[in-house]
Amino acid sequence: MVHKSADKKLLSELRSFLGDRARDGDFELGLYAKDGSVLKGDPMIVCLPTSTEEVQQIILACRRYDRPFLARGSGTGLAGGAVPVGDPVVIATAKMNKILDIDIDNRIAWVEPGVLNLDLSRELSPLGFHFAPDPSSQQVCSIGGNVANNSGGPHCLAYGVTSAHVAAIEVVLPDGRVALLGDLTAESPGYDLRGLFIGSEGTMGVATKVAVRLTPNPPEVRTLLLDFADVRDGAAAVSSIIANGLIPAALEMMDQRAIEIVEAFVNAGYPTEADAVLLVELDGLPGGVEHGVEVVRAVANRHQVGSVRVAADDAERALLWKGRKNAFGAVARIKPDYYLHDTVVPRGKLVEVLEKVYQIADAYDLIAVNVFHAGDGNLHPILAYDSEEKGVLERVQAAGRAIVTASIEAGGVLSGEHGIGLEKRDYMGMLFSAHDMATQDLVREAFDPDGFANPLKVLPSGSRCSDSFGQHVPDGAWV
Amino acid sequence: MKNVPIDLPIPTEDLVSCVSCGLCLPHCPTYRVTQEESASPRGRIALMKQAHHDGVVDDEFVEFMDTCIQCRGCETACPAGVQFGSMMETTREALATQTRYQPWWARLGYRTLGWQKALRAGSALIALLQRFRLVPQKLGLPSIPIIQRPLVSSGNDVWLFTGCIMDAWMRDTHRAVQRVLESTGAGIAFPDKRANCCGALHVHAGLAPEARRLALRTMQAFPGDAPILVDSAGCGAQLKDYGHLLDSDAAREFSERVLDVHEWLAQRLDDLPEKTGLSPRIVVQDPCHLRHVQRAHESVYQVLGRYVEAVSLDDDGLCCGAGGAYSTFHPQIASDVRDRKIRAIEEIQAEEVASANPGCLLHLRSGGLEVRHPLEIVDGLIKKDE
Repeated sequence: MVHKSADKKLLSELRSFLGDRARDGDFELGLYAKDGSVLKGDPMIVCLPTSTEEVQQIILACRRYDRPFLARGSGTGLAGGAVPVGDPVVIATAKMNKILDIDIDNRIAWVEPGVLNLDLSRELSPLGFHFAPDPSSQQVCSIGGNVANNSGGPHCLAYGVTSAHVAAIEVVLPDGRVALLGDLTAESPGYDLRGLFIGSEGTMGVATKVAVRLTPNPPEVRTLLLDFADVRDGAAAVSSIIANGLIPAALEMMDQRAIEIVEAFVNAGYPTEADAVLLVELDGLPGGVEHGVEVVRAVANRHQVGSVRVAADDAERALLWKGRKNAFGAVARIKPDYYLHDTVVPRGKLVEVLEKVYQIADAYDLIAVNVFHAGDGNLHPILAYDSEEKGVLERVQAAGRAIVTASIEAGGVLSGEHGIGLEKRDYMGMLFSAHDMATQDLVREAFDPDGFANPLKVLPSGSRCSDSFGQHVPDGAWV
Repeated sequence: MKNVPIDLPIPTEDLVSCVSCGLCLPHCPTYRVTQEESASPRGRIALMKQAHHDGVVDDEFVEFMDTCIQCRGCETACPAGVQFGSMMETTREALATQTRYQPWWARLGYRTLGWQKALRAGSALIALLQRFRLVPQKLGLPSIPIIQRPLVSSGNDVWLFTGCIMDAWMRDTHRAVQRVLESTGAGIAFPDKRANCCGALHVHAGLAPEARRLALRTMQAFPGDAPILVDSAGCGAQLKDYGHLLDSDAAREFSERVLDVHEWLAQRLDDLPEKTGLSPRIVVQDPCHLRHVQRAHESVYQVLGRYVEAVSLDDDGLCCGAGGAYSTFHPQIASDVRDRKIRAIEEIQAEEVASANPGCLLHLRSGGLEVRHPLEIVDGLIKKDE
């Protein structure tokens, strides 16, 4: 709740143009303190704008009262990118959810940032198109959130991540100016500021309109479910499939615990006895897809596959994917809390790192569940725990750090698609030198010299001198 | 009210079962029309956690709880199997018993539902006003007869539950259902007036003690062990929940006997008269209490599909906004939620809409759609062929 007189003035100024869409009720603020991660912050005021002009006015008001701000989409992020720290004003873009224009000739749609990823693809479906990035949270995550995190998803193996599917963005910069980054042509001259903005996690301004590229729906799709008695065979099959020259549309892996909880939710006939399953999707022209199915079968047989099930129809396909895409939430069937990691390792190191993940979980007396984008080596180890257990948070954090270390030692990186946010900010030094980070900080400062936009995120404190809104991940941010 | 103390008796393990992943958000009708966390299942559970922890609530909290339609679409969507419905019912009961949540006039209104004479007198008055065209069309009320012809039992193979509002306003639907049931050779028994309210609306309003009283009375009206069929999805869900509501063996045995009328018919498709003539294209609206609570909506398609081209909606069974008494107390949200449903229905070119719940049916009618109970549609097609 707003206490100080300066903040009361800010609130009444925000209310002068937002009306009751500027909120400061205790209960309601609590709802914007968290996203989908395990971190928690403390918002000062929550604003629910409906237009670019309102976003601009909010940012200008924040500047006048020396208040930082933070943009929030659907609040499903897993790295704390939308967790308000440093007492910011939260700008929730969920109400900006209109599809403004669909231009089939140029394969572009202009959308507002609050449009949900799956809503967009469903709207495009009768026209024969979709928006390619499809994170597991696809049914609820917003296009604005996808832009902030440069989100991926299972089908990014073949189609590429969000950056490849956004032509231009209208943003309100941290100084309140409205700018158009990128354009609708295939090649644009000058620096790629659009590319810079995508994945900047709200530290360079707030996206208010996005021009997304439309991808034609494939004429033929086949989804295969392969089960293995040994997770190592499954991981080896992943490398072999790609080494055989095939790039499936998606290539996902789930371990035994993941299969069990997912099956309990969807009843799709996932083999709960198997040590691991691979979900392989092939798409394209019918002949190519048929050939791909045979290649996958042959490779799988060389790696001691138990059985190869080909989904008979769209309904079966949808059910298998429903299982995969709900896996994280289903972890609550094991323990009430989970800490989900997101690292990338070279495909050839999958087996090695997976084994390390299990060892680390055992060492810290935690339960590890693995469900991940195997095709591009993007691991998502989930540590399931009960936050009521004494001392468990320390163990979870230590295990998380150990997993990140193991991934980096194997030649991998910190984050695949969930972003750095608050969660991995202090790990940045494990991957980047002080010089690297100072250079990144210069880029950020070019957009936001005064540190108003989503403070304390992405870069560790100390890598910039103007970080005036606080120093560390606050104690008690973990919930 | 400000900072009123409250004891929210929700088990901690239920509260923590939500990991706040947010996958429920697009499946929540009130989130869909507001895009606000406070109107989402994840948000409401977080609020319950807060109130459970702090032991105080205020008007803001009450409003966020009261705007939930209790459709339970979030339960179908939740990968963790969070029991949202029972948490919301517990919260409302705590609010109704410990705060001024339900005012006296609302309590009186709910009480009237289980009080046959008052309900009949009120309905007759509406019927009279309808004759003088004093009831606005947009309310979507059916034409209520001033004098009701009684329902006549035809045997004792199955019971047909009659209920409160539905029996007072839509008794012809019961008659149509009876004819369809009889076409399979079954004899139908009707309960006496002790079964004139299942108590569903009372549970939704937090008036659980009243609901338990009605449940005990209702159970007495169904002696023997014949199946109890229900042609209202909301009442059916409630009768099936008596075991949980009363927590007794007798109630659990009673609930075991309850079936939605379509569930019973779907097991006897071959006993239904043959399909002849045209198959009109009918769009089926899945009532939430049939799809998300009873999880028996497929049976409507099986029965209806024998006579018509039954088309489903592509909206994951999102609520229509009726929610029992909800549309009366929250007309604006209910109408916004309905607009979305109407758009989905109008995208499908169909002759009319089938809805297996009287609340949804009336709410959609007042939105300008032609809606009938699925078995009224079936009854019409059987009759024509004879």
